[in-house]
Amino acid sequence: MNKRKVTLAAAAAGVLTGAAGLGLLAMPAGAGQPPSLPDVSAESLVEQVLTSKPGAFGGTVEVDNKLGLPAISEIPQLADGKHSARIWTDGNGKLRLALPNGQSEQTIVDDGTTTWSWNSQDNEVTKSEHKADEKAEKPETGQKAIDPATAAKEIVGLTKEFSDISVDGTARVANRAAYELVLTPKASEKTLIREVRIAVDSELKMPLRVAVLTNGTSEPAGTVGFSQIDVGPQDPKLFEFTPPATAKVTTPEAKEQRQQGKPEVGIEQALHGKDPQIFGTGWDTVVGAKIPGEAMAQVPAEAQGLVDRFTKQVSGSWGSGKLFNTKVATILIADDGRVVAGAVPEQVLFDTIGQVK
Amino acid sequence: MITRQFGSEVRWMLRRPRTIIGLFGLVLVPIIISFGIWTAGGEEGGGPPGLGAILQGNGLVVPIFTLFLSLNLLLPLVASIWAADGLAGEAQHGTLRGLLVAPVSRVRLLFVKLFGLTAMSLFAVTLMAVVGIIAGTAFLGTNGMVTLTGTTLSTGEGLLRIALFIVLVTFQMVAIGAVALAVSATTEHPLVVQAATMTTIIVFQVLGQFSSLDWLHPFLITTGFPGLVDVMRDPIPFGQIWDSTLLAGCYLLIGTGLAATRLITKDS
Repeated sequence: MNKRKVTLAAAAAGVLTGAAGLGLLAMPAGAGQPPSLPDVSAESLVEQVLTSKPGAFGGTVEVDNKLGLPAISEIPQLADGKHSARIWTDGNGKLRLALPNGQSEQTIVDDGTTTWSWNSQDNEVTKSEHKADEKAEKPETGQKAIDPATAAKEIVGLTKEFSDISVDGTARVANRAAYELVLTPKASEKTLIREVRIAVDSELKMPLRVAVLTNGTSEPAGTVGFSQIDVGPQDPKLFEFTPPATAKVTTPEAKEQRQQGKPEVGIEQALHGKDPQIFGTGWDTVVGAKIPGEAMAQVPAEAQGLVDRFTKQVSGSWGSGKLFNTKVATILIADDGRVVAGAVPEQVLFDTIGQVK
Repeated sequence: MITRQFGSEVRWMLRRPRTIIGLFGLVLVPIIISFGIWTAGGEEGGGPPGLGAILQGNGLVVPIFTLFLSLNLLLPLVASIWAADGLAGEAQHGTLRGLLVAPVSRVRLLFVKLFGLTAMSLFAVTLMAVVGIIAGTAFLGTNGMVTLTGTTLSTGEGLLRIALFIVLVTFQMVAIGAVALAVSATTEHPLVVQAATMTTIIVFQVLGQFSSLDWLHPFLITTGFPGLVDVMRDPIPFGQIWDSTLLAGCYLLIGTGLAATRLITKDS
């Protein structure tokens, strides 16, 4: 009978182990103990971030987004929620991005001379060859959006003169020791953003995580950071791309032609289009543009309905239009086609829109 | 000794007419899928979402697509049938009593049943995959394997991916089957086992749809299913695949433990 008890105990132990395992799996991975690092001054850290040249690395980036943005067709990863992406770079302009979206995937490969963009959903490859005068070092729009290192450098470069900068302890990001660099907009800046926290790798001085905190909340409105990173030379095969035999290969121009009808493409083009107008400096910079009347008229009615759902109708001495609020940015689209956007309260936009030509 | 018992268990399972009919049904799935995609031809945007979008001219993806689809309902159903026959079915026929009073350890009896379940799951999944490869190649043609990432793998690498997927899917099936075996040990009615297992799987999938219940999702075995599609990305990100497999492993432990407890304490 004793043997029976032993077996019973073993069986019960199996059940308990399984149950405990389920609990462990469900627990979010802890951040771990913050590492202790030698003190560093905020000024020198900023300097090192700006001058650091990220070498070759490969890693997984987690994007946690509570901004309240609608999904943008080109970068579905920016829609609300948690997303992950994989990124590899050789440090010399060659780049590979893998953006999984449910069961499909978008891949962008820059092999130094050509940018390939593959979307498994429509089995299509867009091939765009770099123009001779174009600098290969210019980061892709997609990379700016999801690579914390590139994004953080841009933010620091644009705002350091308009911020109080401090180092606020340390953190462990993707199993690497990092300093937490905090940029707080100066009191004179009219912005929605309370602070931006950037975790800077203690060895490489490369930003590993960017978190944006807005006024009135303690949880970040958005976080972009590595969950895993592997620094060092990457497999050169990653930076080559051969379109599958079954896929259509098109050029970006042909693709744009087909997408002309889509309103979000129109607004996007207008905002980082030919000549955006910049007003102000630092945190309360406002970007303005004017969408040509015919482009506004082309927006299909159903898309118009969609836009109306996300926006609220406003008017003032400048005219009338639609206001689109997110936690970190506000966009104002006037009925006559003027658009202004910035990380600012709506009043700043009302004051600025008159200057858009 | 134990290998002989393993062998006789599998032979016994294969001799049941419903096993043959079930396997035949499973084999039809990849054929129908390949045929369907073939007839849809090169229509613009006519393909199903996700993996289905890259099926055209890419026959080696058919086995993975088939198994991925079947994992949601069909394969759990099959696993539950085998688990139901294993203990509840034998109890219904009165043959379990003989096994329980025999001078054979009950734990060993459970392991024989678990082995039968594993062997048959592996057999069924492999059969589906092989038919999928043949049907996919025949209907859709093949030229290596195009991944979700847009890279083209050689046929050898493609077959390796399929083999990996077979193992992963089988493991999920065995985990579900182990829990079904625990239910099977408590009843004499095989239908109760099937109904309980399928209801659980369906309820889990429904619960998985509610974002307000997201604290519950990490506990549901069905949460791990979609992540297995990562096998079709290049290079393979193993994070989600590990998580799914560990999750299934926990279910396997719980199911086996409960089944053992029940069998040991059962009056013969």
